[in-house]
Amino acid sequence: MPLVLDRVEKSFPGVRALKGASLVLAAGEIHALMGENGAGKSTIIKIITGVHKPDAGKVSLDGKEISLSSPRTAISLGISAVHQERNLIPRFSIAENILLETLPVHRGLIDFRRANTEAHRHLQMVGLDIDPATEVRRLSVAQMQMVEIAKALSHDAKVLLLDEPTASITDAESETLFRLVRQMRDRGTAILFVSHKLEEVLSLCDRVTVLRDGETTLTSAPMKGMTRRTLIEAMIGRAERPIIPRASTPIKGLPKLEVRNVATKSGHRRISFSLRKGEILGLYGLVGAGRTELARALIGKEKVTSGVILVDGKVARPRSVADAIQRLRMGYVSEDRKHEGVILAHPIRSNIAITIWSRIANRFGFLTKKLEREIAEPLSRQLDIRSPSLEQIVGALSGGNQQKVSLAKWLAADVDILIVDEPTVGIDIKAKAIFHELLNALADKGLAILLISSDMPEMIALADRILVMHNFRIIDDLVNDKGYDTTSLAIMSAIHTVEQASEDQRTAMSQQWRPEP
Amino acid sequence: MNKMFEFAIRRQWSGILAVIIAGAIGLSIVTPAFLTSFNWFVMLRSVCVSILVAFSQMVMLGVGQMNLSVGALGGLAAIIVGGLMDAWGWPALPAIAFALMVGGVAGFINGWLTVRTGINGFIVTLATASAFAGINLGITKAVPFYNLPSNFLAFGNGKIGFFPILLVVPVIVTFFLAVFFSRSVEGRYLLAVGGNSTSAELSGISVSRAIVISHVISGLLAAAAGVLAVAQLGSAQPTIGADWLVISFAAPIIGGASLSGGSISIVGTVIAVLLVGLIQNAMVLLAVDPYWVTFLLGALILVAVWINRYRAVHLDVD
Repeated sequence: MPLVLDRVEKSFPGVRALKGASLVLAAGEIHALMGENGAGKSTIIKIITGVHKPDAGKVSLDGKEISLSSPRTAISLGISAVHQERNLIPRFSIAENILLETLPVHRGLIDFRRANTEAHRHLQMVGLDIDPATEVRRLSVAQMQMVEIAKALSHDAKVLLLDEPTASITDAESETLFRLVRQMRDRGTAILFVSHKLEEVLSLCDRVTVLRDGETTLTSAPMKGMTRRTLIEAMIGRAERPIIPRASTPIKGLPKLEVRNVATKSGHRRISFSLRKGEILGLYGLVGAGRTELARALIGKEKVTSGVILVDGKVARPRSVADAIQRLRMGYVSEDRKHEGVILAHPIRSNIAITIWSRIANRFGFLTKKLEREIAEPLSRQLDIRSPSLEQIVGALSGGNQQKVSLAKWLAADVDILIVDEPTVGIDIKAKAIFHELLNALADKGLAILLISSDMPEMIALADRILVMHNFRIIDDLVNDKGYDTTSLAIMSAIHTVEQASEDQRTAMSQQWRPEP
Repeated sequence: MNKMFEFAIRRQWSGILAVIIAGAIGLSIVTPAFLTSFNWFVMLRSVCVSILVAFSQMVMLGVGQMNLSVGALGGLAAIIVGGLMDAWGWPALPAIAFALMVGGVAGFINGWLTVRTGINGFIVTLATASAFAGINLGITKAVPFYNLPSNFLAFGNGKIGFFPILLVVPVIVTFFLAVFFSRSVEGRYLLAVGGNSTSAELSGISVSRAIVISHVISGLLAAAAGVLAVAQLGSAQPTIGADWLVISFAAPIIGGASLSGGSISIVGTVIAVLLVGLIQNAMVLLAVDPYWVTFLLGALILVAVWINRYRAVHLDVD
């Protein structure tokens, strides 16, 4: 039993990321780790690789309890990871990258000949036949991944963690990767394979652990007998509805916002939908599906290359965010409140009033604290922003309260269309509930709300209709009957069906176009 | 933690003010020359230029940018105001107005280049600094302008009590900047952009506009500093501005400006300039080699940045 996690807990300010997650990773197995966005996957990865220390619970290796105080300790104990983003130095050679910490030295200088020979040996282990003196930036993504695996093996990894390894490589390249992973397993390496692609997990992995809301719903269960459906159910859960669903009232009237055949610079194609007054339209998709980018295009932050956006039936071309706010009365609550939603070093009062500074300034163009407070005070009370005073800088507030500030500024601006991007990520349950009530109330007051969320229960409870987005396209537009089981299954199968289809297509293309090596 | 200590750290300038007061008392005991009206006049007059130079950079730090051309721009304004009066025989007021206008335009060029090309403002102003200095030397061939009108010289030499008349300018500018940054919409836009440019943009503020405006203000202030320097020296030296860079950063930072932008202190900047002025004065009076002032300034910047960092990490005030 190389690596065991026993009821591991981890909290961050405002969130309990892991509430007791367990995992048994045995030598000579490929073990899948799955879960929706925000389920706690990345926290587990960070604990195993020594980035975070658990608050409670035990981590043991070969039966001995260990303390992973830094990534360095983890590596020295034989735990290596290949992360989703590449961690190589592009202008260094393959050999230098693999042997970075242990480059052979001869008379005080790096012995490149020996480094290359050594690196060559590691490259052969992963079946990569390239000159080790090649600069890493000249490699394909798949080759870089192989180099990272070679690097992990050079550290004598007993445990190898692969985080979404097939996310950015072609299907044929994935096959090569799977062959290598199986070989490593047969040599006795314990492999933790993090992926959201059901098909590859079902065919490749021996056992599976599924996380949901920081808890393991499947713990090291054998893969035998699992189906797509059982995995999806383990990931999204069933019959758990802490959120009171929004009353289903048929929404009538002309569209407030209409998007026709829009394409964007970031890669959206043929995006069409409409949003009515008083409606909450959900936009669901996995991370990287293009939801945030679409929101940014709608408010004029990203370029729309073709198609039209209509507000109140009139063609609206937002020239800039300022234009979208003032002329089209649109607002955008960013998913990344710390970096995009608020100004941490400024007081609550200014953060709320910022959207309307030019509107509330007196006739000399001057703003006073009093003018700002008159705006901020009622909103702060309405949203229950917990702080001793409005002069408090936002950086000192909890995540939930920061998010309230980030929303309050749009209420101050009195917008008609509100785009809310992952409003409840990383905030506690009470603040979450306040948010849900609030979005409901705002829609009832006649706002048109586009709700972007990866939180399935939240989406199903709040949205009137749900758009499903995958790979910068809208693949489904479904009426939400608020039935949790049926809707969630419909959404997930839409995504996984399209994923499989595009996979097949990619394979066909890569076989057709693959250049001779 | 000790309450006093915490207050002193939170209001960074309060500690500096204490140092200045203690230093002034100490100096008046050690050297009787310190309290003479002539000494005060000289010290305050040199402070006038430094305050404007410091403000010129402070505005840029406020919007989260830097301006390395503060000195070159001030130097250019100095020889323009001198040249117009000496070689072209312009009266003082139009010459001053023209020099300020050049400063504003030069600032606009800095801002426009930064926004338009997307090149880091650091590099843009490094390049324009060299260009402005080149124009300066091209016009003057490194020869100063000496023949300045008497009313202009009187402005530089006059005093009210032992306060130099020149002091009027930084007092007015300080007042305007204080109102601008705390009360005007445009000023608040600058600080919002400096505090978090993405968030500001997503709140409907034009980041480009804020950057251009702050460069224009920075240029105007640098030019004003150049004009004051000419009045103070009584001649337009082509070397004016060459040694401004360090003080331009030192004063706002010592005064509590955040290097990551969005947070500045006008009072703090003024007090920091006073501190530097006092140190320079003390070294002259105590006959210390003036070159050590430069060393001390460097050390002060490091201490100030370190205190800033301490504040950010331990008190969460960033």
